[in-house]
Amino acid sequence: MLKIGIIGCGKIADLHAEQIRWIPGCEIVGVCDQEELMAKQLYERFRVKKYFTDPRELFKAEKPDVVHITTPAQSHFELGKLCLEAGASVYMEKPFTLNFKEAQALIDLAVEKKLKITAGHNVQFSNVARRMRRLVQNGYLGGFPVHMESIYGYDLGDRSYATALLGDKRHWIRSLPGKLAHNIISHGVCRIAEFLNCDNPKVIAQSFTSQFLRNLGETDIKDEIRAVIMDQNGATAYFTFTSQVRPIIHQFRIYGPRNSLIVDDDHQILIREKGTKYKSYLDHFIPPFVYAKQLAGNGAYNIKKFLKRDFHMSSGMRNLIELFYQSVRYDDPLPISYKEIIITTRIMDAIFG
Amino acid sequence: MISQDCNEYIISPEEKILVTGANGFIGSRVVRTLLSYGFKRVRCFTRPTSRSGSLEDIVKKFNRAGIEIIKGNLLSREDCRIAAEGVSIIYHLAAGIDKSFPGCFLNSVVTTRNILDAAIEKQTLKRFVNVSSLAVYSNEEIPRGGLLDETCTVDTKLVERYDPYAYGKAKQDQVVVDYAAKGLPYVIVRPGVVYGPGKTSIPGRVGIDTFGIFLHLGGLNTLPLSYIENCAEAIVLAGIKKGVGSEVLNIVDDDLPTSGEFLHQYKINVRKFKSINVSYRLFYIFSYLWENYAKWSKGQLPSAFNRKRCTVYWKGNQYSNQKIKKMLGWEPRVKMEEGLRRYFEYCRKLEKNHA
Repeated sequence: MLKIGIIGCGKIADLHAEQIRWIPGCEIVGVCDQEELMAKQLYERFRVKKYFTDPRELFKAEKPDVVHITTPAQSHFELGKLCLEAGASVYMEKPFTLNFKEAQALIDLAVEKKLKITAGHNVQFSNVARRMRRLVQNGYLGGFPVHMESIYGYDLGDRSYATALLGDKRHWIRSLPGKLAHNIISHGVCRIAEFLNCDNPKVIAQSFTSQFLRNLGETDIKDEIRAVIMDQNGATAYFTFTSQVRPIIHQFRIYGPRNSLIVDDDHQILIREKGTKYKSYLDHFIPPFVYAKQLAGNGAYNIKKFLKRDFHMSSGMRNLIELFYQSVRYDDPLPISYKEIIITTRIMDAIFG
Repeated sequence: MISQDCNEYIISPEEKILVTGANGFIGSRVVRTLLSYGFKRVRCFTRPTSRSGSLEDIVKKFNRAGIEIIKGNLLSREDCRIAAEGVSIIYHLAAGIDKSFPGCFLNSVVTTRNILDAAIEKQTLKRFVNVSSLAVYSNEEIPRGGLLDETCTVDTKLVERYDPYAYGKAKQDQVVVDYAAKGLPYVIVRPGVVYGPGKTSIPGRVGIDTFGIFLHLGGLNTLPLSYIENCAEAIVLAGIKKGVGSEVLNIVDDDLPTSGEFLHQYKINVRKFKSINVSYRLFYIFSYLWENYAKWSKGQLPSAFNRKRCTVYWKGNQYSNQKIKKMLGWEPRVKMEEGLRRYFEYCRKLEKNHA
């Protein structure tokens, strides 16, 4: 039985605990939060063995094999270090750390201690993302990616989070180097990082405050980001973070030398863009039906997965946690490479720098 | 000013009163009622995100220099200390209205603990009025149509009910009761469904429109309504009346309508829309199936519909306001007919504006 601990008992911890409870062969042995009431409520609701207010006590009493760190990012480095030094592998919620330096130090420590660490880039493991990855691994693109586009939308109208942030000048998000965007964009950036073939890509970025926020008197928070990214082999990518585009979309496009793919996370749709060219007017008549067939196929696939009980709202997180636990148990390859985590952090550093 | 005998009160008009959640639907009416009663020093605590327009209107209307508006966060102990400084009564209306359990818990329970710690530290508090909800009760042991009053037990299975708001409120009440051991003088009030101008949605106890069409689930059940002004006055009295200590008081009005009557009137007075009457037994079976599917599918659908929730909200009970009337001498000033008329008129105007 894999012993699991959770440090940080807020909203995101609930999602983690909810996924862990359905994964066979593991048990949450302790939850920890410096606010005792918060630790206790998670402990009570998920019938966890014990709750703690000091992570050291958690390690001493329960010796967890894996610890999920679900605290604000400012504490990720120190808590990650503490867990690894205590002998526990770490599932770190996004953003992994505040910067590259911290990320590298944590990964080095994990390697040194022969433990594992991963980042909560769970969108990478949704049903549609996994389908895309299989196609890319099977050579669908016809070679290395030439270009990528990742667009990550965000709804500032989200009552529980954004409005609290906008009105509260002391909100913890405001002390992150990239403020609001820092807590969000790793989901969009890591999609690009996965397919870049270098350690330190070039990044040209422009961040700004939308007119919408300026009208509200907000000037500190940059809610619009446009970045151009390039690796040493010439693969390029555009990254967009936006709070103003409607509908709010989360899409990833990857273009290869032969074919391309479009991933729509919101609707769990994967579209294959084939390089096939039809003659004359046929190029206007046939492709729309090809796309229609693909869209219908996506719908049928999603329904089939749902009927098979394999289409959970948080399936990305559940899949990632399962793969990470397998990696810890059987020393399988990590679901997210350290290179991907490092590149994601470097790109974010460049954007916020 | 509403004429009342000041000898019946535990504080004088000059003593300080704190209202948390003062800019909310009920909070702003509580502030207005306190001022109407002649209390001169009311401290209004609101979230930093809250627009204090309605409070500023109240300040202008009453032209009182003694009204203080403090913006802060009850999760900050320092803000709580500032808020609790020198107050004799706290009306605690701020609450978590998040969709998640931790969100509701954090903003209902941790905040309550913080304000209580601050109040106890300051040692000026004469009464803490904790505004809870009728939703915390369990009616499992009560037959359909049976009386739900202050003697009923608080639900201990609120997680199974998938009701974060009620969970936060029940835990908040528990914190208050725990602090009684530290000498906290308290009253817990549990309003039913508070309605009136400012509220637009049809109460969930009437039905839901989750599936694209309005399902009328309340049938002939009595609705535990309380008109906003009546409710605010009851809350105010719970804080100031002498001889009320460590009590739980439910707040509902007189002449409660049935769900069917409410819906019928709403359709006549506000807007017409299609609805389907669904019997309690049928929805109970649906809830049972949903609940089991949620388990079988390992959470593919959340157990948002379940038997416990169905029982609490749509089984149907009778409600009593005898205790609060007897202890506080409270009477709903706005009669049900008039309250509904004002509410429907407000909703109708809003509908017209949207159109």
